[in-house]
Amino acid sequence: MTLAQRGRWLTWVSLILLGGVYVRALAFTPPERFQGLAQKIFYVHVPAAWSAMLAMGLVGLASILFLVMKDYRFDRFAAASAEVGTAFSLVMLTTGPIWAKPIWGTWWTWDARLTLTLFLFFLFVGYLLMRGAVTEASLRARYSAVLGICGLVLLPFIHLSVYLFRTLHPMPIVLKPSAPSLPGSMLETLLLSFGVFTLLYVGFVMQVYALASARDTVGDA
Amino acid sequence: MPEGPANGGYMVAAYIAAAVILVAYALFLHLRSRKL
Repeated sequence: MTLAQRGRWLTWVSLILLGGVYVRALAFTPPERFQGLAQKIFYVHVPAAWSAMLAMGLVGLASILFLVMKDYRFDRFAAASAEVGTAFSLVMLTTGPIWAKPIWGTWWTWDARLTLTLFLFFLFVGYLLMRGAVTEASLRARYSAVLGICGLVLLPFIHLSVYLFRTLHPMPIVLKPSAPSLPGSMLETLLLSFGVFTLLYVGFVMQVYALASARDTVGDA
Repeated sequence: MPEGPANGGYMVAAYIAAAVILVAYALFLHLRSRKL
């Protein structure tokens, strides 16, 4: 089985598992008392944010490895991760405002966390646009690596923005020094969703990486 | 009946939006691999 086929298989299995997460979140996880059913948006919004940040983190790490080792597989991986990260950022930026409207009374507010996550999305889009605009491979890889490292630097600011600035956005409830502050069934659903979104990220990246490898092979021939 | 405010429509909209984006991207990749 080729990498592309394995990626495709993993993607479809992950999407079926995502259906399972939906059933568990919607039918078998209790709603939060004050926020009502809108709180359940959290089970797709937070894992999508996690996947987007994982994607940018790995773009940054692969970029550093590319600059050190000059191995174009790292550049190809970074590009694949950036494309997939854009999709997850879009999920994050779509589901976030849909949650915010009933809870905050507004779709969007320019506070630190929201503005930085929007910046993350623009960084992903800018990264992809820049790769499309620069035709010379070594130059494209070097420029991309610099942008990828900028993205990696941005991640701690996004995570810590709720501590550093006055913001409407809720504090972290899982990725924090103390124990997660969620009842058991809610935490289980959230962790399951984290796992499925991570699998989906891996499946997508395998496919995009395999496509890029195939395209480079065709280009070299 | 769930407690809290009646805002289930927002929940449904968010779940549909997430599914549409992710499935559309999976289909887009599938079509791209077939074209190559």
